[in-house]
Amino acid sequence: MKWNDDLEHFPYPFKGSVYRYSNNSIPMNTPISIEITPDYKDEMLLKRNLLTHHPERCYQSLSHTTTGQWEIVNLVIDQLVTYYPQHFSVEKKDAEWTFHNKIFDETHKFTFQDERTLPCEPLAFISHHVQEDLLFMMQRDGDLYLDAGQLCFPANWSLAFNLGMKFKSIHHPIPGFKEEGMDDRILQFLMRLEAGNPWERKNWSLMAGDRLDTSLETFDKWGKLRKQVTRENAGELVHLRVEVQKLFRLPRTNSILFTIHTHLLSLEKLASNHEWLKQFYDILSELPAHILEYKGISLYRDEVLNFLNHRLKGGKVR
Amino acid sequence: MNKEAVFIPHKRKYLFCADQQGMKLLSDVIEQVKRSECSYDLFVFEGDPDWKPFFNFLKKQKMGTYLYVALNNQVLGHAQTLAEEIGFSAEEAQYVVYGEVVRKIFCCRCHGINEAKEKEIEITCEQCGLVLSISDHYSTHHHAFLGYVAKL
Repeated sequence: MKWNDDLEHFPYPFKGSVYRYSNNSIPMNTPISIEITPDYKDEMLLKRNLLTHHPERCYQSLSHTTTGQWEIVNLVIDQLVTYYPQHFSVEKKDAEWTFHNKIFDETHKFTFQDERTLPCEPLAFISHHVQEDLLFMMQRDGDLYLDAGQLCFPANWSLAFNLGMKFKSIHHPIPGFKEEGMDDRILQFLMRLEAGNPWERKNWSLMAGDRLDTSLETFDKWGKLRKQVTRENAGELVHLRVEVQKLFRLPRTNSILFTIHTHLLSLEKLASNHEWLKQFYDILSELPAHILEYKGISLYRDEVLNFLNHRLKGGKVR
Repeated sequence: MNKEAVFIPHKRKYLFCADQQGMKLLSDVIEQVKRSECSYDLFVFEGDPDWKPFFNFLKKQKMGTYLYVALNNQVLGHAQTLAEEIGFSAEEAQYVVYGEVVRKIFCCRCHGINEAKEKEIEITCEQCGLVLSISDHYSTHHHAFLGYVAKL
């Protein structure tokens, strides 16, 4: 599938000419956990298809998360109808809710906090209406646990494996993350997150191909493209992958909703903005080996640098 | 899972659950508990473990109880699963293993659980046939290490 490749609305993640892991979270201007983009229909069809055919890969929950899942349904529906009234509406009569998704011309009636009135768990239900992946972390014993989640578009990780895991264990595979004390600093930051003051950050990686569903479960299929990158095809094949991540405290369960909206931009498009081209070239040239390796870039970094350098010198590849 | 037990002081009560060989591994800690005059209880497994009495024994314990279990690798994992189901958290229990340590490996492709011997770094998933490279990423929920795609 070809995604929108929308230069104007792309959440370009870089500042300066050097990139390192950091807590780059900022308070949100508009406190909204989701965003509807022009790709909504295509992405939702892909997401619904994945949820139907690969439920274990895309959805996991522990049994004590039901109250928190309803909190997420409440928050997301309220934001959908507030910020996108042309696309969504809801009528609430006591606990009887009627939710309309006008983009898909769907009406869903259910009793709030009665999961027998939904076709699936509450978090799975609301996942069918938003482009974001939705992760639910519970706070207890001075730690955060990934106790439920819907994840269709992961950047090469497995929700099924990470279910029930503590924050630091989840991030154990990131080289240097623990050694630099990042894991503890970010955990402390998240545990102090307050209701009503959501934060957001951007995370990025490069990928060979334009799949949104780059799960660890299917890495043996899509990972092979990394070996096919050349200077000539890098512009079309390689994409900058940016996750806009948003963090909301859920006051009733004192848990955290973490939403991830994934955007892809081909290097061809990126290179059409000269400032970005120069900046990205500088960052990639300087990136240390452990970050290149973790972000899965090592195999084709040189080809990408060749492509970017060629473009910087004004060359057209073809 | 550890290979030896460590005494954690200042608990309300201590439980020692093991077969005969496991009790030997706990003997130092049991001595320390006796010396500190804390309350304790023993549960001895004989022959093939009978899980029902073990489950009931754990279930009747009160808050503040600290648990030691020492068994061979084939059965220790199940004992841990039962203890966690009852509500013993990682901070309230130690699991001591003897014999050859066999690690469980979670297949990144099919989620199947495989077994790997101590020194193995690659295995083939018994469920889906993928060659897995064994990582040090551990899940206490699955009691398993993650196996990644070994060859692209």
